[in-house]
Amino acid sequence: MSQNGKKKALYPYYLRYVLLAALLAIEAIIATALLYPPRVGPAIDLTAPYQPRPEWYFLWIYQLLRYFPGKWAIMGTVLLPSIFVLSFVLIPFIDRGRTGRKKAITAGIILFIALAALTLIPVLTGQ
Amino acid sequence: MIRAITNLLDSWFGIKEPHRNFLARALPEKINVSYCLGGMAFTAFLISLITGLLLSIYYVPSGRDAYSSMVALHDKVWFGWGIRSIHKWSANLLIIFVLLHAVRVFVHRAYRPPRELNWMAGAIGFVLIMASGFTGYLLPWDQKAYWATVVGTSMARTVPGAGPLIETLLRGGPEVAGATLVRFYSLHVLWIPFGLMLVFWAHFHMVKRQGISGGL
Amino acid sequence: MQRRDFLSWLLKSAYGALGLGCLAALPYLYRDGRGDIKTFFVKTIDVDDLPRIGVKQVEFPFRGLTHKAFVVRRDKDLFVLSPVCSHMGCYVNWNFVENEFLCPCHGGRYDMTGRVTGGPPPKPLTRLPHFIKNGFFYIGIRA
Repeated sequence: MSQNGKKKALYPYYLRYVLLAALLAIEAIIATALLYPPRVGPAIDLTAPYQPRPEWYFLWIYQLLRYFPGKWAIMGTVLLPSIFVLSFVLIPFIDRGRTGRKKAITAGIILFIALAALTLIPVLTGQ
Repeated sequence: MIRAITNLLDSWFGIKEPHRNFLARALPEKINVSYCLGGMAFTAFLISLITGLLLSIYYVPSGRDAYSSMVALHDKVWFGWGIRSIHKWSANLLIIFVLLHAVRVFVHRAYRPPRELNWMAGAIGFVLIMASGFTGYLLPWDQKAYWATVVGTSMARTVPGAGPLIETLLRGGPEVAGATLVRFYSLHVLWIPFGLMLVFWAHFHMVKRQGISGGL
Repeated sequence: MQRRDFLSWLLKSAYGALGLGCLAALPYLYRDGRGDIKTFFVKTIDVDDLPRIGVKQVEFPFRGLTHKAFVVRRDKDLFVLSPVCSHMGCYVNWNFVENEFLCPCHGGRYDMTGRVTGGPPPKPLTRLPHFIKNGFFYIGIRA
């Protein structure tokens, strides 16, 4: 490691890549911001029919609310989202023991498919 | 000239020496571009921080004036729409970068000991970023903001027993009203950014101490 | 007990008490407006404009915002339904074609009496108090 440490050290070798990536991030943000500026939405009106939509990263939870009627609502509002969040936060503890990696990958894939499906259903059906 | 100034600053703060090992440390060979995603996320965070500071110059957090202050930001303030747009998109891209960063760390299994706490710090930071998105969504105080928050806070009511109490706590009253807006404003501009900075400090400190994981 | 042990114990308990004291300040964050809630009767429409049959959306100003409610005439019954969906608090709309109330948020459905006929809502639409005075229809809203 230390023989060619000069070339592999963070400074100055990798720093330029980090700065380049940061620049790319800045440009991506400014470009999208200039291309797709937000509008001023209509003012609060309690009488007009209105279908609210959350931001895309909350669509999954919004969609989840549809599936649990009546007293089951807590499944969609608290229990399932908590399970999703906890399994994400606790990934290092799911990956324990000999079969740990398999369990972690299974959890990760289930999480990904569930969230992707719940996000895509309202986008595609336009509900 | 610049070197003289940095040397002078360093003689006061002594910031170079403790970081020398970190900067000169050889990084694992398998490193690639995907290792920059965390840095890109932090860049997006900094941009949302700066534009947020700029927006707070004109935004009036009150039920009566919030909407008109946002209209004025668009109509009267030079590049007001642009600052708001950059704020919005930096938040969106921040979430995308953080997700990709998490996928990268997951694929490289870089959350394994001794880095499990660092994964959790990042995951909690992600939850805080989502909370920031939720509270920030109300601030324009328009139709979309109002009804999204009605739904978002009503969810708390489904908790057995404590539900109505939590809902009232979130709303600052029985309904989504001016008190809710002030509450969300406080969370969005003070509490959550402060919490995020603590989490980020812990996250980066652990990266510095433990080094970058060598990948698979 | 040693003097030093006693001091250490005292210090720990003092900080413990301080911590508990901070917890006791939590109600600071909880501001319940429920105590101030009353039923306000708001003057709305002329009694001649009440629906002879079916559902009518009535709009009326209250505290700087225009609110709405549904006046329903069914056989001999006249009642007022709150527009607040019992699921997540969105305002429902009356659908003339399907003869039902539809919630735009998660597709909750109610019939003209406010009974849930579909979707996730747990409870029927709330009925609001009302009366007629001097030829005008008054609706009571809780705020």
